[in-house]
Amino acid sequence: MPDTPSPIDALVERMARDMARRVSRRGFIGRVGALLFSTAGLPLLPVARGGQPGPAQPDAATDPGDPQTCEYWRHCATDGFLCSCCGGSVHSCPPGTEFSAVTWVGTCHNPGDGHDYIISYNDCCGESECGRCLCSRHEDDKPLYVPFKANDYNWCPGSKVGGAYHCTVARIVGVAK
Amino acid sequence: MAPGSSVNRTRRAWARAALALAACVCGARGWAQLPADPDGVVEQLPSKPTPHWVWVNDTSFFAYPDGRAFLVDGDSGKMLGMLSTGISFTGVVVPKAGGVIYSPEIYFSRGSRGIRTDVVTIYDAKRLLPVGEIEIPPKRASIIPMAGAEALTDDDRFLLIYNFTPAQSVTVVDAHARKLVGEIETAGCALVYPTGPRSFFSICGDGALLETTLTDAGTLARHARTAEFIDVLKDPVTEKGVRWRDTWLFASFEGVLHPFRITATGVQADPTWPLFTPQELAQHWRTGGLQHLAVHAASGRLFAIMHQGGPETREDLGAEVWVYDVATRKRMQTITMHNKAGSIQVSQDTQPLLFACSMESNRLDIYDATSGRYLRTVESLGQTPALLIIP
Repeated sequence: MPDTPSPIDALVERMARDMARRVSRRGFIGRVGALLFSTAGLPLLPVARGGQPGPAQPDAATDPGDPQTCEYWRHCATDGFLCSCCGGSVHSCPPGTEFSAVTWVGTCHNPGDGHDYIISYNDCCGESECGRCLCSRHEDDKPLYVPFKANDYNWCPGSKVGGAYHCTVARIVGVAK
Repeated sequence: MAPGSSVNRTRRAWARAALALAACVCGARGWAQLPADPDGVVEQLPSKPTPHWVWVNDTSFFAYPDGRAFLVDGDSGKMLGMLSTGISFTGVVVPKAGGVIYSPEIYFSRGSRGIRTDVVTIYDAKRLLPVGEIEIPPKRASIIPMAGAEALTDDDRFLLIYNFTPAQSVTVVDAHARKLVGEIETAGCALVYPTGPRSFFSICGDGALLETTLTDAGTLARHARTAEFIDVLKDPVTEKGVRWRDTWLFASFEGVLHPFRITATGVQADPTWPLFTPQELAQHWRTGGLQHLAVHAASGRLFAIMHQGGPETREDLGAEVWVYDVATRKRMQTITMHNKAGSIQVSQDTQPLLFACSMESNRLDIYDATSGRYLRTVESLGQTPALLIIP
């Protein structure tokens, strides 16, 4: 049977759909999106800005698991190569690559502290595939027609260096509840 | 000496005599060298594909700049040829008239970096050589390969390509004139599903369909928006729809089939029907994969890859393909896969083949689509083959 969406997911969906209905001009979405997503205090928006420090990270004791494995809790909606295996970390890109400016977000449950976190899956761009630690999980991701909840897009085309995809981070941007 | 030495001498004598006789009979001809092979021969394909040819499109996920499309003969299991198709390749597009193959491709001036150029490359279908190129806006969506990324209108006149930058739009190419027509905004709506010679729809984030009608020049004539046919929050459909006659068929995450029928006044949502019984749902049966549906048009048989798992497994491979009769909405057959499958396709002749592959291996499995009998496997087709297309 269908899962009942969490309140945060419902909010994200409504905002995305409302925005989709309102925006009618190509290019406008990008400009408005950049303005909105760079504004502080909007961690629940369905797009997270890359390359910026996130909120305070949980300490290691409450962040269990190995970031180099697909089973690590933050990877609940990852679809790609894990940057932790490629010279980066769970929140940083490897040398020589660029954080994607926009990306999709998921909500993952941390078994260490019992909280749900909003995870930003920024792609790292500008080099060919890392090719290590391929991970494909789909907890609560959506089809391509719900872009900011869809992990089947390559988000590197929004970066300065262009479309070459290297790996994906799983950065905490906020607590969902 | 050993008692048998005289016998051995006799045998050796006979052997020498036999060799001498063979040399006389065969003479110089029997021992001649092979003739020299002709120089510089390059194969060509027949003018028309057989019904059992299939394009195996490889996005090369471990080496994105090196997309490929392999042409395979399902009857012999022989690879017939290959196209090199650039970065983030999804699949070739083949017009009904044949003769050419269209391939939306992306290139960077320095391999994986530099200036991005998007093109539609036109290949000659016999020689598999590029014979034309149409530059298009450098916006084509870079996605995991799936249906709806690109398509021809029903009369093969216009090629439609989905863009995501993340602004959403569709590039229109005049395939006959071999020139770019332009770009049509589809804000909030994704992908392309043709509905006629001058129309297609996209799926919107709120569950409605955006219907786009083209002029004869390929420019926007009008947009129309349907009601919200899809419940995006409770049970969205996957993007991986298949066309059966005048109806697009989409399966939801929970196994509800949504028929979107093309009418003179626009796309209508026909009554949905379940792919699973309540008991099968309780056993967590689910469709899965990247190309998890295929339909045989003449018989109305719908093929669906099945596995057991939760909603988060919607792209998992399946060990079974269930076959439904679309007219009666009943399951009529179960085909056990030789290898788990993530993509399937069925040929459209009267003795159809079922093709199956997955991105987790580089093999193509081939079955008799009527009996479900496994026939053969073609090994080593690229890295991560995803989309199967019948030319």
